[in-house]
Amino acid sequence: MPLSNDILIRVNNLTRRFARCEALAAVSFEAVRGEIIGLLGPNGSGKTTTLRILSGYLAPTCGEVEMAGMDITAHSLDVRKKIGYLPESVPLYPEMKVEEYLLFRGRIKGLKKTRLFSRLRDVVDQCGLGEVLHRTIGNLSRGFRQRTGLADCLIHEPEILLLDEPLVGLDAAQTHLIRELLLDLREGRTLLFSTHMLCEAERLSNRVLILNGGRTAALDAPDALLRAARRLQADIQAPLGDVKNALESLEGGREARLSEKDDGWTRLSLPADGAPLPAGLEEWAARRQWPLRNLAYDAPTFDELFLRLTTLPPKVRNPKRRKSP
Amino acid sequence: MRAFFPLLRREIGFYFRTSIAYVVGVFFLLITGFSFWFLAVRLSQQAMDGDIAHIFFTSFWFWLSMLIVTPLLTMRLFAEENRMGTIETLMTAPVTENEVVLAKFTSAYLVFLLLWLPTLAYPLLGKACGGQFPVPPLSLVASSQLGVALIGAFFLSVGLLCSILTRHQVVAAMVCLAVLGLWLSSSLITIQFQLEAAEPLAHFIAAPRHMRDFATGILDSRTIVWYFSATVLLLFTATRILEAHRLR
Repeated sequence: MPLSNDILIRVNNLTRRFARCEALAAVSFEAVRGEIIGLLGPNGSGKTTTLRILSGYLAPTCGEVEMAGMDITAHSLDVRKKIGYLPESVPLYPEMKVEEYLLFRGRIKGLKKTRLFSRLRDVVDQCGLGEVLHRTIGNLSRGFRQRTGLADCLIHEPEILLLDEPLVGLDAAQTHLIRELLLDLREGRTLLFSTHMLCEAERLSNRVLILNGGRTAALDAPDALLRAARRLQADIQAPLGDVKNALESLEGGREARLSEKDDGWTRLSLPADGAPLPAGLEEWAARRQWPLRNLAYDAPTFDELFLRLTTLPPKVRNPKRRKSP
Repeated sequence: MRAFFPLLRREIGFYFRTSIAYVVGVFFLLITGFSFWFLAVRLSQQAMDGDIAHIFFTSFWFWLSMLIVTPLLTMRLFAEENRMGTIETLMTAPVTENEVVLAKFTSAYLVFLLLWLPTLAYPLLGKACGGQFPVPPLSLVASSQLGVALIGAFFLSVGLLCSILTRHQVVAAMVCLAVLGLWLSSSLITIQFQLEAAEPLAHFIAAPRHMRDFATGILDSRTIVWYFSATVLLLFTATRILEAHRLR
């Protein structure tokens, strides 16, 4: 059980409506210090809206958001001192030099002169910006722009990092560098990042929050989600009704899913956790003289699991805005 | 107001780093310089009603320069931030809406005042070049410059407000030009369309009349309070609009 001051992000029933749709509907989660949470979901699922609300850029329509123990609406300015936010498009001032930009950002974040220059040195080292420090931002590659944005996020040593697609558009070496940096940054902080790169989310995150149509589709550690999705499957040569009646005597039978196949066989699918071993299932079928085929575990990959979770109905339209027929 | 000075420094730096200040400066000094030279030549050849300061600050060229310089200085203030998305990083930093609006306005205002600075030397330059006209007294120059400063602040706050409402600089500039154009011609419009009820109001807010007063050395406290409060009101509206973006 985490201590209350270790919970740096607390979101309760967060809802955000725009003119024509409900972008987020009753999303709730908590994140503790030292945790990395991957925010996943198809386009338009509410990832960016979530990050914008948590950063204080957008106000929630309803629900509560506490960042570092403070309400985001009532203490917006204090909360913004505790967070580092990198938007997806990495917006920077193209006419400024990297050093000039970082010093400007440090100053508006309230860093005093001595600390400002020492933090500048630190973030330049951390993000590998030494070689481009005196170059104009408009002339930088995507990777260096990304690193400059990240350095800006870090310069005031925030407790919470909110990163919208920090790995997008980077080559393999840059992705590796940013990934290692994110792992280093988790020490003493909470990191929430959105991504479409499922393998990176699986590799980096302690937990993933999967959104679909503005609603929470899943929230757990990637391993736990995969374990829960693992199922024992088999085809049984028996009518569906008979199999259904016999499920009571099968371990884990209450959570079984049945479907009728075209050739008269019945597909039985059981959660792998709590289901009998394959031998037990074979014995159960043999007792009823039901032939079995295709007995195997179905263990989806993280990509497959993501697809299953996100192929649900589209987001709910705002009923207030609907035209009457 | 901790973030005000870093923001102001960046904003002023932008004008000079992107050459906007130089381009606008050259354009402005060409118009006002030509206008002054033209007046100086005419005053040297024939006697005219009023002195050179009065004629200069009420001329068509003066208002043309004000109308063109204002959108050029203000159009990018917020429209550019909105278009590039930098408004998102700016407003998620620990800065207040007041600091942002005030820093942007002050930067445009300082550049505007900087543009007017060389015009103080025009009468002396005109005399040095052999102009045959009386040099206006210092008090008249000061009251005229006060008029420029007050009307300029009001015009720039209109431009800033237009910029905050859009993400396209050209749209911001066109809207600002249209609003200020209508403002300047409000007296003409009320007469042309026989809007008798609106005539006192149009007369009260007519910038050309105010500038004529300033250029003849008349300092009316009502005019000063009007420009000061109108500017503050427009800047206050801008901060509320910036706040409302979060709730849109």
